[in-house]
Amino acid sequence: MPDSIDTDEPAQPPRDPHAVRLAPPSGARFVRGLKLGLPVFLGYMPVGMAFGILARTLGFSVLAAVTCSATALAGAGQFIALSVMGTGATVFEILAATTIVNLRYVLFGSTLSPYLHGLPLHTQATLAFSLTDETFAINIADQRAGASTPASMMGVGAIAWTGWVLGTLIGSAGAAWIGDPARFGVGFAMPAMFTALFIALAENRRHVVIGVLAGAIAIALPLLSAVGIALSSSWFIIIASMTAATIGSVVWRED
Amino acid sequence: MRTDIPQTAIWAVIVGMAALNFIVRFLPIAVVSRIDLPAPVMRWLSFVPISVMGALVAGEVLRPGGHWSNPLTGPSLYAAIVTALVFRFTRSFLGATVAGMASFVALQHLVPRLIG
Repeated sequence: MPDSIDTDEPAQPPRDPHAVRLAPPSGARFVRGLKLGLPVFLGYMPVGMAFGILARTLGFSVLAAVTCSATALAGAGQFIALSVMGTGATVFEILAATTIVNLRYVLFGSTLSPYLHGLPLHTQATLAFSLTDETFAINIADQRAGASTPASMMGVGAIAWTGWVLGTLIGSAGAAWIGDPARFGVGFAMPAMFTALFIALAENRRHVVIGVLAGAIAIALPLLSAVGIALSSSWFIIIASMTAATIGSVVWRED
Repeated sequence: MRTDIPQTAIWAVIVGMAALNFIVRFLPIAVVSRIDLPAPVMRWLSFVPISVMGALVAGEVLRPGGHWSNPLTGPSLYAAIVTALVFRFTRSFLGATVAGMASFVALQHLVPRLIG
């Protein structure tokens, strides 16, 4: 981490001058981040494997699957790309579906940005690249405890990335040897992850109501095919989630 | 499920996803750390993640593989309930995902015998 030496300032500069001298060096903070991110590593490995196996069944080479994970680092987004691809969608539809799903990163980034004031653009770019649901959750919790630094956030991002890419490599390279992934329930890895994320994101009753509403809309939209409007499944997700979010923000205009 | 996707399409998706993913992650950090978003935009954004997950879960449970199926006679609904409960009480993505997959496999064998 050559960048971390000159950019490793705490999010809020400590008032006590001794705190500066006693603060651990950036290497130690990076290692602390690696340790913080270990549960994410353990969680990403099997899901990354599932992605690797599924990608192979759709015609991805090992190189393509690993490149996809290494450059996108988007768990749900990547699975959605695969499931939409499998229905014969166009490249545009696939990218639209993954992008709308990843719009939540706009919120995550906005939430994190007050802690990233004054950092050089390349440090912000590195942290943005490693932003996922899980790294966001860990870093926000760590920041509220007052312990997070750019170096520790990079440690969290690095260990998460490694777990995701390594899992994808094992899954895609070992797909033939692992055999039919269905018997391990790999087909349910993605729905299980979405279900857990739904519970994780359901902070209050409003969220639950809007989440259930989005589900109801997503389920109702395929009925439009009865009146001759046939949409691909990616558009069900996009239309349902944007409609439900709009309803939520109109109904609860005030906090 | 299609398995004849051209390699050019696969690589177009990979490059496009990498670029778009980075943009949606980086732009807010680069811009919002310098300006404030209007409150209505922030409120709309706050409902996006839960809406996406709600739409995804409903689709996966009620229309697995893009086709209607009775959720009471298949494993998905019950496995999703197991996943939700495990996550609710452990807050572990790993534990919940593994429990969901394991219960899905077990229910694939059990549900037809109990109901069908």
